[in-house]
Amino acid sequence: MQRGNTGIAFQHQLKTQRTRLKMLSKEPWLLGIIILLFISLFLFSVYPILQVLKLTVYDETGFQFDKVAEVLNAHFFQILWNSLQLGILSAVFGTAIGFVFAFAVTRTQMRGKKFFHLIAMLPIISPPFVMALSMILLFGRNGMISSGLLGIEDSDIYGLTSLVVIQTLGFFPMAYLNLRGVLESIDGALEDASLSLGASRWEVFRTVTFPLALPAIFSSLLLVFIKSIEDFGNPMVIAGDYSTLAVQAYLEITGMYDLKAGAFMAVAILFPSLLAYMIQKYWLSKKSFVTVTGKPSQASKGIGDKRIVWPLFAFCSLLTGSVLLFYGTVAWGAFVKVWGVNYTLTLDHFKYIFTLGLDSVKNSLIMATASTPITALLGMLIAYLIIRKNFVGKKLMEFSTILTFAVPGTVVGIGYVLAFNEKPLLLTGTAAILIIAFTFRNMTVGIEAGSNSLRQVDASIEEASTSLGANSLTTFWRVSLPLMKSAMFSGLVYSFVRSMTSISAVIFLVSVNWNLMTVSILSQVESSRLGVAAAYCLILIFIILIVIGFLELIVNRLGSSKRGAH
Amino acid sequence: MKKWVSTVGSLMMATTLGLVGCSSGTQAPKQEAGGTSQVASTPASAAPAAPAAPASKNLTIYTAYPEQEAVVYIDEFKKATGIEAKFVRLSAGETLVRLQAEKGNPQASIWYGGPSDTFIAAAKEGLLEKYKPQNADKIPENFQDKDGYWSPVYVGALGFAVNSDWLKKSGIPAPESWDDLLKPEYKGNVTMAHPGSSGTSYTVLATLVQIMGEDKAFNYFKKLNENIRQYTKSGSAPAKQAGLGETGVGISFAHDILAPKNEGYPLTLSFPKEGTGYEVGAVALIKNGPADEVENAKKFIDWAITKEAQDLYETSKSFRLPVNPDATVPEGATKLTDLKVINYDAVWAGENRDALVKKFESQVRGKEGVK
Repeated sequence: MQRGNTGIAFQHQLKTQRTRLKMLSKEPWLLGIIILLFISLFLFSVYPILQVLKLTVYDETGFQFDKVAEVLNAHFFQILWNSLQLGILSAVFGTAIGFVFAFAVTRTQMRGKKFFHLIAMLPIISPPFVMALSMILLFGRNGMISSGLLGIEDSDIYGLTSLVVIQTLGFFPMAYLNLRGVLESIDGALEDASLSLGASRWEVFRTVTFPLALPAIFSSLLLVFIKSIEDFGNPMVIAGDYSTLAVQAYLEITGMYDLKAGAFMAVAILFPSLLAYMIQKYWLSKKSFVTVTGKPSQASKGIGDKRIVWPLFAFCSLLTGSVLLFYGTVAWGAFVKVWGVNYTLTLDHFKYIFTLGLDSVKNSLIMATASTPITALLGMLIAYLIIRKNFVGKKLMEFSTILTFAVPGTVVGIGYVLAFNEKPLLLTGTAAILIIAFTFRNMTVGIEAGSNSLRQVDASIEEASTSLGANSLTTFWRVSLPLMKSAMFSGLVYSFVRSMTSISAVIFLVSVNWNLMTVSILSQVESSRLGVAAAYCLILIFIILIVIGFLELIVNRLGSSKRGAH
Repeated sequence: MKKWVSTVGSLMMATTLGLVGCSSGTQAPKQEAGGTSQVASTPASAAPAAPAAPASKNLTIYTAYPEQEAVVYIDEFKKATGIEAKFVRLSAGETLVRLQAEKGNPQASIWYGGPSDTFIAAAKEGLLEKYKPQNADKIPENFQDKDGYWSPVYVGALGFAVNSDWLKKSGIPAPESWDDLLKPEYKGNVTMAHPGSSGTSYTVLATLVQIMGEDKAFNYFKKLNENIRQYTKSGSAPAKQAGLGETGVGISFAHDILAPKNEGYPLTLSFPKEGTGYEVGAVALIKNGPADEVENAKKFIDWAITKEAQDLYETSKSFRLPVNPDATVPEGATKLTDLKVINYDAVWAGENRDALVKKFESQVRGKEGVK
């Protein structure tokens, strides 16, 4: 009896698998793309990390687990716990701030929305080490605020608190970008309906807006959590007594020359990240969040109530103040002789960059420009496939996209060298290896934003398109993509900025012909030439702001021209 | 109407995904490494009649020198030889990892700069090729690698980076001995890296064990621990923090101290009178590197130990001490002969590293104390 049941269940499963395959075979293009995606995800996300893992447990004599046993001691679990604590705190604060910003910008009539939108994106441009350094210059023992303004004699800023502050400031834009799209596309009519039924603003928020934003909130928590425990630059400078896994792994490799132990520690960061990821996916699979149905709806005017708008405005202004304080410090540092000591104005640092460093700036720009559109489109495509299509191994695809995002950059860098240094997969030394690494490492934010947007859209809109004869790809291009406009923008911005600012993966992949700007910044920081580092950062910020403006223009056009054509 | 959009889009997607296949052909691979390196390892006289490998004008260098320094040296080498040398800048620890990962097909032929202990580790892993440069016998023997895997290019002595403003404010003189650091006026104002995470700091530990003997040295560190403000992660951080006023005294290598001082940070450099340890900076030939570069790489090592090359430490304002006795000592740096350095035993230090670091962690300050 029992066996019969499982047999039937198994047959049933086979049958559904077969029908799925049959559906796919009707669309050879789609099938081809899915297969291509699988191959490339395996090659560029899974395989390099497997190589690193292999390095830690396998040598000529076979499997060796003594290194793993050596690493897994009480000290390891202590720093693992440190990392988790840091990740949770930063995720909660970062997401909360991101939510308030996104809510204020999309659903109220607050003044200065454009400005706040820009400010909320500024902190993702955090070049290696520089934010932590400006923390020291502002609040350290000789800090301009701590000692100069407040007269504190012996301020000690090294530790968890500073780390959480810096990470929250640095990562809330990720949450903002992720939440903005979702909050924007919640149909205003829904909120208006519950208002006119007599609900208070608070009740509307609690029962309509907030629940609809939940998936995006959870995915923001996840993204910030992962990035926080994977972060290396900030804890390296400012963590004080507080050891984290990412930093410890790096030191094990470069300070103790123990590649095996370090690589294992770095890969171990994957486990909490993947666990958080699976919890989130399990929870999401249980609910529906559709609000965009294609039926006519009116755009809500947004909340104008002063009692709501003013506190939001104050909050956003306060945060904007802190963001500007940090960036102002950097900007100022670029124009003075010795950052922190001699405040005579000078242009020397820029002169150095324009005579010696321009090549690496140009290279960074080329790499980022090449990888950005690929990353964002791939992200949207994968989001579309994951939410809308059924195919064998979908879970696997979803899972593999998160891998290179969740491991510390060091692992990605080492893994790529291990995987692509010999024929037939010889990529080291080329521009391609950098572009590919950027693409697969930065894709996740686009995928998350895209999935969140699509979850809100009723599948019947796309079904209408297919039943009118369009194939899945045309539907993706003409119907789904424009609906994911805001997510597309997030994917583009995140990918561009991260490509311009990433360091720990890149350090192993740059070559004589393709050296990057962040490697130069790091070298300047290491030799105490903070002024030049700050000047590089200023140039970086300038470039990125121009590009963000440009992207905004393009993405907006993407939607409106479509509408105009109809 | 807009069907082409989807076609073009999917084509684009397909080509980018297929990028792998094509791009592997774009770089000239160098696979004949095995054969040619054997030819090259015949005793290298300056100009052998016919070079066996197809000689090129290229040279790829991994360097641990800061960018602005590397440019000075490598440009000068280009001028002197006409060889098209190019470099990638990585820290010494990162270079070691990269060489390990690239082992099957190294992308560079020279590793230039960085402390000898990383080179010793690399030689142990079989990543370096032995090479004895011309005129190597000019260089004092105590700096040389007995196995001949790497050649010394500079020496850096351990010293104290003292914040001058802090000295003035608290009215105390700069420390002049290791014992001075134990005085109560330095409480909470001494910063060093943790020997478990930094090669510089391990040199401090090994130096004191060699000066005082193991028991006395550990007693010293236990007392010093009372005065420590921070154990930093990286070896040059103590000097930087002293420069920024985050601490009073930082223990670092002299060139790591003089660099921020030269940038304008208020630092005083002093050396302990009991004697001090040092690191040797090195250059080495990477095993199985690009075959067409081997001869150029050897020329580079020959050049790196010359007076002309080491005179550049002054031009680059790096304050490294040349190991070539004919080279000019940079102004502001103390001559090695005027400095009381101990006869630092790098081999012993390397062999005892694990044991000493473990002892430090259990008796003085565990890794959880690393800042």
